[in-house]
Formats: sequence, C-alpha cells, structure tokens
Amino acid sequence: MSVKQEDQLKEKILNVARKNPKGISHKDITAAIPDISSAELVTAINELLQQEYFDLFNQNGALLYRLKTQVNKQAVKGADNEEKVVFNLIEEAGNKGIWIREIRIRSNLANTQLTKVLKSLESKKLIKAVKCVNASKKKVYMLYNLEPDRSISGGAWYQDQDFESEFVDILNVQCLRFLNQRSDKIKNNPRGPIVGRTQSYATASEVQKYITDLGISKVQLDVEDVITILNTLVYDGKAESSVYPDGSKVYRSIDPLIPAPGLVQVPCGVCPLVHKCSTTGLITPQECTYMTEWLE
Amino acid sequence: MSHQLGRVVSIILHRYFGDIVQTVGDDLFKCGSKPIGMIVKTTGLSRGLVIESLRTLLKYDIAAFEPSVNQLIAEYKLVPENVLLLIRYPRYLLQVKSKYGSEAELLIEELLQQATCTATVLLVTIATKYKDDKEKNITIMSLKDMFISLATAGYIQQAPVAELKEGSEIPTLVPVATIVPDLDTRILLQVMNAGNFNDVKDNIYWKVNYDRFHQDFRDELMIKAITRRIDENAGELMRFLLEQMYLNSPAWAPESNPVSALDVRDRCRRAATDKPLLQQYVDQYLKVLEESGGGFVRRCGDASGGQFCVRARAAALQLVRAALDHLVTERLGSKAARIFRLIRTKKYIEEEDIQKNAMLVNKECKQLTYKLLEEHFISCQPMRKAATAGGMAKAIYLYHIKLHEVAHTAREMCYRSLHNVSRRALHERTLHARLVDKQKRVRTIVHGMRLRGEPQENIDDVEETLTPPEQAVLQGVEKRLKQLSTAELELDKNLFIFNWYFTYPET
Repeated sequence: MSVKQEDQLKEKILNVARKNPKGISHKDITAAIPDISSAELVTAINELLQQEYFDLFNQNGALLYRLKTQVNKQAVKGADNEEKVVFNLIEEAGNKGIWIREIRIRSNLANTQLTKVLKSLESKKLIKAVKCVNASKKKVYMLYNLEPDRSISGGAWYQDQDFESEFVDILNVQCLRFLNQRSDKIKNNPRGPIVGRTQSYATASEVQKYITDLGISKVQLDVEDVITILNTLVYDGKAESSVYPDGSKVYRSIDPLIPAPGLVQVPCGVCPLVHKCSTTGLITPQECTYMTEWLE
Repeated sequence: MSHQLGRVVSIILHRYFGDIVQTVGDDLFKCGSKPIGMIVKTTGLSRGLVIESLRTLLKYDIAAFEPSVNQLIAEYKLVPENVLLLIRYPRYLLQVKSKYGSEAELLIEELLQQATCTATVLLVTIATKYKDDKEKNITIMSLKDMFISLATAGYIQQAPVAELKEGSEIPTLVPVATIVPDLDTRILLQVMNAGNFNDVKDNIYWKVNYDRFHQDFRDELMIKAITRRIDENAGELMRFLLEQMYLNSPAWAPESNPVSALDVRDRCRRAATDKPLLQQYVDQYLKVLEESGGGFVRRCGDASGGQFCVRARAAALQLVRAALDHLVTERLGSKAARIFRLIRTKKYIEEEDIQKNAMLVNKECKQLTYKLLEEHFISCQPMRKAATAGGMAKAIYLYHIKLHEVAHTAREMCYRSLHNVSRRALHERTLHARLVDKQKRVRTIVHGMRLRGEPQENIDDVEETLTPPEQAVLQGVEKRLKQLSTAELELDKNLFIFNWYFTYPET
C-alpha cells in the first residue's frame, strides 16, 4: 500500500471522526469505509494515535476513538515532552486555573525549567496567566481560550482584576431610579395599600431587564448580579427587600424613618475635630471656624 | 453622668439662672449628693447665696433632697435630666398651643415660669395680665375651663406634698394623685377684683406634667415615621392604635397590651369622612403596617378580628438606628453607612465578607471599616484559634455593632454639640453685649415716648442713635442667635429619641 493511499485512508477515518465528535468505534469506521481491511485499519489508526489525533477510550468493552480538539493538536506540534506534561496539567485544571506551585509539584520539573516551559507556552498563546481577584499576588494558568471562573475573575464587577466601583455605582443609581419610579404607588393608592405595595415592589428580573434595556453595561448581567446590586441598595437604607410567595426576591425603595436629626444639622455632628474640642485651648466652640461658616 | 453632660448642664444653668446657681449646680453634679455645709465649703460662696440657689433649683425640680444617714440634715443632689428639660420649654408651649390653643399656652407658660402654683393664683395672674388685651379676649371663665381640661388630659398635675416622717427632721416629697379640681368662678372673680390673694384658701399646688408631653412627642415621632414609610392613612391608623393603647396599657410599656382590631375599625369608621381610604381598607392597612411598618406593630392574636400590640421599644430601636444611620452617613459618607448597615444586618461579619457584600473597592472598604471602628460605631471581636502551633494561626476578626454603646456615643456627641452651640451663643451675646444693651435701651426709650405721645421727630432722633452699621451688626447677631437656638431645639429633639431608647434596659 502506497503512502498516498494510506494518507487517503487516514483522511477518511478523520472525516468519520469529525462527523461524530462523541467518538467512533471500529464498527463505525467499517460502516463508513466498507472497503477496508482490518490490517490496514489497524496500521492507520495506530499511526493516527501516534500522531495524537485521537484519544482512546474504553466504552463497555469496545474501543472508542475520539478526535482531540484542534488546539490540543496544535499544542502537540513542535512541543517537547515537558511542554506536553505541563500543558496537560493546565488543561485538566479547566477554567479554575492552576497555581504554578501545583504544576511544579505535580510535574516534578525544576523551577527554572518550568518557568521556561510556561513562557514558551504563553508565547504560543496556548495558555494564559490570570491574576486571582482575592489574592492579588497569586497567578493561575489556564488554557488561552477559556473564560476564567467567577471565583478567579470576580465576575462582572472586575476588569483585569480591578474592581470597577464606578460601574457598580452607576448600576446602583440606575436600580434606585427604577425602584423610585414605583415607590409612590403605595401612597394613598385607591385600590388599597396591599395592591399599592405590590405595585411598588419590583422583582430582580424586572430590574435586570431594565438595566439591560438601558444598555449601560457591556457585560451581560445575570439576575444574580442584579441582586447583589439591589442588596447594596438595601444596605444603603434606600430599599427594602421582601420575598414573593414563589420565592423570588422583590425590592422597593423606602425613605428613612426620620429626617436628618439635629445632631447632623449642626457642624459638631460632622466635625472631624469634635473629640478634640474643649472649653479652652486651641479648638473651642467660640473660635470654631466651621461654626462661623455655618452661621454666615 | 458623663463629663459632657456636666458641661452642658453647667452652661444651661448659667444661661437660665446665672453664675451663682451654676457654681452650686456644678458642685452638686461633681459630688453626687452633699449637705449645705459641704457646698458652702467647696464653692466658697456665702451660706445665704447657696441656700438661695438651692431654693431655685429645688423649685424647678432641678435638684432633689433626701435625708442623710443621721436623718437630721438634708443632702442635695442635682437631677441633670431635668436641667435639660429647660431648653425643651418652647416645644411644650408649641405642643399645647397646637393642641388646645393660645389660652392653654398662656397657662402652661405661666406655670412653667412659676414652677409650682395654686390654680387660683395662676388663673388670676394670667387674667389680670391680659385684662386690657382686647385682641386676645381672655376671660377668667375660659381660662378656668382650659385649666380643667388640661388637668383632665394630664398635662398638669398636682405637685407632690411634703410629709414629715416619724423620727426624721427632713420632709419627703410624696406624689399625690391628681384630682380634677372644681374651681368656683365666683371666688376667682372676687379675688381678681380684690387684687390680693390674702383670703384665698386654695392650697393645692400644681405643676406641669412633663411626662405627658413626652408621650405626645413620642407618639408624634412614631406617627411621622409611619407616614414617611407608608402613607398618611397608615400614620392615622398608627394614631388610632396609640389612642387605644393608652386605654389599656401603661404609657411607656415596651410592648402594649393587645388592642383589638374591632376597636380600631370602629375608630376608623368615625374618621371616615377625613380618610375614606383608611375606612375602606382598614384591614389591609393593618396588614401593611404590621409587615412594612418597621416593626412598630405586631399581630399578637386572631381573636375578634385580630389583636395588635404597639411595640414602643422596637420603635425606639428603629428610630435610634435611623438616627445613627444619618450620623454615620454625614460623618463618614454613604459608603461607610452602607458598611455600617451591612454589619448590622449580618450581626457578625468578617472583613472579607464586608467587601464582597458592600461592593466596594477592597482598599476603600478596609479604610472605611477601620474609620468606623476608630469612631466607635462598630466593634471588633477577634476569634483566635486555640491550640495552634506557631504564630501562623490566623485570627478571625468579626465586626459587629453594640447598639447600646453606639447610641451612648452618639448621645455624648449630642451633649457635646449642645454645649458647643450654647457656648457659642453665649460668646456671641458677650461679644456684642454693648450693642444689644444699647438697642434695648433705645427700644425702651422709644416705647416710653410713644406712650407719652411725643412727636415723631423726637422719636426718630432717638432711634437714629443706632447707626446703620450698628443696625447691620445687630441684625447679624440676631440671625446667628436665632440659628443657634433652632439648632438647640433640634439637638434636643435628637436627644429625646436617644433618651427614649435608653428608658428601656438593654437586653
């Protein structure tokens, strides 16, 4: 059998495999390519396995060949054994990533060598290093095409490991605006206060829809994300939350129980030096500049 | 009994009663209780002056006395809470005026000034004072009626009577149950025409019942809070519930005895013309009040269409929380207030969780948390893991809020601010004492001239002795003093909330 024939055969087998991403068995191959002898098949498959086109599985006693993904194949190309080992470790870790120490222990490679390997893999854009949000010094490695897990990236609120407080603030304001639009419904509602209260409530998914429609967020926000924002409103004392009978959380905006009390209306209530102020000395109420300004 | 309280008490005494009473008051505040001899010794004042000041203090209920161990001499002590009531007088007057009209205001004002007074003297004094005032048209009859209705409503009460116990030289003041008096108009008129009180046999003394006013203030606070939270109808409903509460529970009970919904419904029906919505949806309003009313009202039974408890203690707690929220917001910003509330909601929370839930930048969040800790708004409880070797064991720091202590801190701040505001007012007055005096003199002279009917030119001449720049300065001073006294009233309102909270012991 010539080399050309062999290549054709391999190509055919690969085509079959591509059509069945879940894997193919011997039967599938013989069904798809009827004019093949088992000896030819064995040599072809062996060669393919050697070139690491396939992963070999054992399913219910029958052998199953599954095509490896494209990236994997590329990674293998021109890579030495160390790189392969490291790559596999990183691949296993999935989108949670793997810490460099972990790689070193499991691969049994020396530190310098490992750094070199990682660098070369990174330069080939096969893997990437992601900084962990909750430990800024900790770097984890994962495959280049993977989206980091929430526990690593911190979810929608982080951009390159930095917490986007402005984004959160804007969302906070917008959510409050949405709730405020409804808050007046409870006041003197002609259909009764319970209906009024229900009308003044907004579910998290309604708020999420409103936020999405506004188009202020480039990232797609889940209901969960919106709930975190709405919770900050609750902690701001600007909203209260309740639960509907079906278990969904609802929110409505509220006013504080009392208007600003006397203590914060006088300068002393907000004065940073109030604890150093006394009858005599440098800081006294008689000479207080804050009070003078306030009295003007 | 803190240092700050001492300062504010001292300055208030100075304002209302002058230097000498202030010295005596300070001395009493510092030492708790002591006999006259000791006061004379420590203050260095003459015995006569000390006795005179003590008399003033006792008259206004600012000081109290009790027999010493040997039962022979009296020991005096200051009641600082009552000193603070002095600045609340304008509020009492406003309250009674808005509820009963100007005649009641005159009565209460006179009674506050006299401290204690018999009904005859009180009524005749006021009637004589306004005898010629045609605009107000005050007669002794209407005053008498008003006096009786005030006594019935409990705004005034009989003053305690001194009784001498056996084996003691010192009388004790025994409170008397108030009996609504039956005043004879003829006698009153006789006394008024005679112009002297010599042959009056009236020996029942009256005084203002502060507590009754405080109940009003408390109710007002609760009603306003509910109105802000839900709407006017719910506020009105709260008022009805409170009315019902007074019928079957002590006024300051932490939680009232159950109020039947039937009674409330009945009350709403009577108010149907004003609040049609409330009458229509009274059950719904009760439900909403219970669920979204900040825990002011609790459903405590289903008998006869529902039983409700008014929870004054919970209300005080909520209002103190609201006040503290405002304080934190104004002092450290809304982000800090968010952390403060977050910690309160979660009770005990770790630093990392604060950051996660408050959605703040790590660094900012930590800074604010430490700032809150520094200002004593929150507390920190380290949890060390026991029996771990080496210094590596990481302790967990749990942040939490001790509300009682935070409220205490805030109340101290209130005292401090109150002192500062009063002090500043005093300073303003002394700075411009000469000008203010001059203005007063000019006013009296002009008033006298007007009465004598002297020509306008002469009056103008006198008025022009106050130059325009002086006028401007005076206006400025007046404006500042007005602002300062408004601030005092507001601070007092704030203090009222804290003190209300402190009437209930910490759980």
